[in-house]
Amino acid sequence: MNKGISIITAGALVLAFAVAGQAASQGAAPSAGCIMLKTVAEVEQSYTTDSGETAKRLVPAAKVVPGGEVVWTVTASNVCDKPADNVAINNPVPEHMSYVPQSAMGPGTEIAFSIDGRKFAAPEALTVRMDDGAERAARADEYSYIRWTFTNALQPGSVAFARFRAVVK
Amino acid sequence: MNQMRNLALALVIASVALFGAGRAMAAGVPAGTAIENTAVVNYTVGGSAQATSSNTVSVTVAEILDVVVTLQSPTVSVAPGDAQQELVYRVTNTGNGPEAFLLTMTSTLTGDDFDPVPSVPAIYFDTDNSGDLSAADTAYVPGSNDPLLQPDAFVTLLVVNDIPASLVSGNRGRSQLTSAARTGTGPPGTVFAGQGEASTDAVVGTTGADGDATGEYLISDVSVTAVKSQTVTDPFGANRPLPGAQITYQIVVAAAGTGTAAAAAFVDAIPANTTFVAGSLQLNGAPLTDAADADGGAYAAAPTPQVTVQLGDLTQASGPQTIRFAVTIN
Repeated sequence: MNKGISIITAGALVLAFAVAGQAASQGAAPSAGCIMLKTVAEVEQSYTTDSGETAKRLVPAAKVVPGGEVVWTVTASNVCDKPADNVAINNPVPEHMSYVPQSAMGPGTEIAFSIDGRKFAAPEALTVRMDDGAERAARADEYSYIRWTFTNALQPGSVAFARFRAVVK
Repeated sequence: MNQMRNLALALVIASVALFGAGRAMAAGVPAGTAIENTAVVNYTVGGSAQATSSNTVSVTVAEILDVVVTLQSPTVSVAPGDAQQELVYRVTNTGNGPEAFLLTMTSTLTGDDFDPVPSVPAIYFDTDNSGDLSAADTAYVPGSNDPLLQPDAFVTLLVVNDIPASLVSGNRGRSQLTSAARTGTGPPGTVFAGQGEASTDAVVGTTGADGDATGEYLISDVSVTAVKSQTVTDPFGANRPLPGAQITYQIVVAAAGTGTAAAAAFVDAIPANTTFVAGSLQLNGAPLTDAADADGGAYAAAPTPQVTVQLGDLTQASGPQTIRFAVTIN
C-alpha cells in the first residue's frame, strides 16, 4: 500500500538532518519524536514552459491576499527504527482562511473533517444544527479541522504526506 | 480567471496568481495579518502513544489595492449660466489596508452636449455631509489632503462645475471623478514590493486600484401657468353678482418644460368687498382645512385675507393642479 508513495532513504539519520534543515527556513523547528512533521505553505504559480505552454507549479507562499489560495503540505517522516502505527495527522484550517472543497488529499489515508474539533466525519456525514433545530449538510467553508488517518503503519525511513488548500478570507 | 493569471504573470514575473474566483467580500483579512498553521501527528510506537507537532508556518497577508467610486446624486437640473453646481460622489476603499487616494476630475467628456466648466477648486470634501457646497466644506488639494481611508471606509466628495450660458433646454453635460491609490495603480496583480501595510507587498486588486464615476447636468427650464375662472350663484338661484351671492373660483396650475418648479406655492388674495367661505378650499377635489397645517392649504385673515396652497415640486409630469375656493359678496 505504502510502496507507491514511500521514499526509502539511505538511513533515518540522514533524513532527520534534511528535514531539520528545511524546517529552519519556514519557522520553528519541530519537536522531537519518532515522526518528524513538517508544514509548508505554497501557492500555485502559472508559468510558461520552454515549449511555450502554460503550466502551473508550486512556489513558496511569499505573499497572499484576500481571495488567494494557499496549498498546505504536511510531510511526516518516520525517523525511528520501528514502524509507527495508528498514524493520524491533525491540522486545523488556519484562522482567517476557508477550506477549499475537495482539496484535502493524502495517499493511503482516510480523511475526516470537523466543525467543533470533537466530532470528525466524512463531508457527507457532517451536519450543522440550524436555529430551528433542523440539521443541514455542513459547507466546506465551515470546516475547522482536518484529520488524515493512515490505513497502514509508517515504516522506518518512510515519508508520507497530507495536503489541503485554503483561501484567505 | 485564467486570463487574469496570465496577465499578472506577463507583467510581473515574480507575481503569484493571487486572485480567487470567489472573492465576494469587500476588504477581507486586513493587510499585515499573520496566518499561522501547525500540524500535529498522533501515533503509537511499540504500543506507546506519541504526538509530534510540526514547525509553525506563518504567512503574512499582503495589502490589496482596490477602490470604487460611485455617483450619489441623480441628474442635476440646472439653468444656463448657473454657478457652482454640485455632483455628489462616494469614494470607498475596497482593499484590505489603509490607503490614501489621489482624486482628479474632468468635465471634457465625449457623448454629451456641453462641457461643464470646473470651478476653482473643483473638488470638495462634503465635510458637513449636506450633499451640497457650503462654507464648512473643505477644498481638496492634491498631495496635501488626499483622503486616507481605512478598509471599507468611504468619503463623500462634491465635484463643482459652472454651467456655460447660451445652452438650450434638454442639453446634457457630464463630469467625472477619478480616484487612484497613492501606492500605485496598474493591471490586477501588479506588485509594489514592500509598499503595503506593515511593510507587506502591495498588490493591485481587480479594480486596478483606481475607479471613476460620471455625473450629469441637464439644462432644464420650466414655466408655470395658472388659469383662473369663476362661477357666481346668487341667493335667488341665478348668476347675478348681488350682495350675498357666492363666487367659486377655480385655478388650474400647470408646469411645462423639462425642469422642476421647486416648492411651488399658490397664493391668492381674497378680493375686496368679499368674504372667504370657511372650509371651501380644495385641491384636486380634496378638501383642505383652513388652518396652516400639514395639508398644505390655509386661509389667513390678516394682514390681508388670502388663501395659500403648497403644491410641492411641480414638473410637467405632475399634471395640472386644480384649486377651488369660494367667497361671498358683502
